[in-house]
Amino acid sequence: MDINFLEKHPADIVQVSGSVDALTASVLTDFLSLKISQDHTNLVLDLNQVEFMSSAGLRSVLAALKECRNKGGDLRIAGAQPGVEKVLKMSGFTNILKIFPDSENALASFSN
Amino acid sequence: MHQITRSAELTSLPEFRKYINLACSHHSGIDKQITYDLQLAVDEACTNIITHGYQGMNPGSIILSLEFKGAYIEVTITDFGHAFEPIQTPAPDLEAGLEDRPTGGFGLYFIYQTMDEIEYTTNPYGNRLTFIKKLESAVG
Repeated sequence: MDINFLEKHPADIVQVSGSVDALTASVLTDFLSLKISQDHTNLVLDLNQVEFMSSAGLRSVLAALKECRNKGGDLRIAGAQPGVEKVLKMSGFTNILKIFPDSENALASFSN
Repeated sequence: MHQITRSAELTSLPEFRKYINLACSHHSGIDKQITYDLQLAVDEACTNIITHGYQGMNPGSIILSLEFKGAYIEVTITDFGHAFEPIQTPAPDLEAGLEDRPTGGFGLYFIYQTMDEIEYTTNPYGNRLTFIKKLESAVG
């Protein structure tokens, strides 16, 4: 798993690639927690290059979402591939966070 | 039958998924979603075996086998750790608000959501978890 951080306005983009499983999820959790603690509280989590996500990855997303919202920000998902999108839907996460087809749309949503 | 054996460590998870991808790619009629469902169920089951089944023990092995039987795929996961039956648990509260949202319990839930049949047997020679995934219609 690789993570790229792009500082943008009005939100920052976290590009993740590879697999987010029980082996790698803690790296994502720690990375997001660090960025949120540095007041990057409006985040687009771009999952376009994520080929696999398990329940361990969902826990990372949930923890970051809570941290962002507790600080008055938000975390929005972009570009999830069908398999990852199914995981988000099965878990009911689509009821509590916003999902966009790509990072451009997710970024623009923070301006609305 | 396709079969691989790996040590019960988290570093084996990507190898199991890669193996499933490769095995499925050799059979026609298995779309990407079925492959993903199999990877997800096996990943969640093996994560449980690694983190709970072998807890307090030296990492043993996990044997994963796939049998393509025409209308369905039979997946068998064998381990030699503590018995850890993946009993169907109530679905996590999928309507809960963010603060009340459970952070655990999704692993087993995903297995039951994506597989058509699940069987668990244990004896002194090991624990065996079997999944059936039908091919004619994807579940969930």
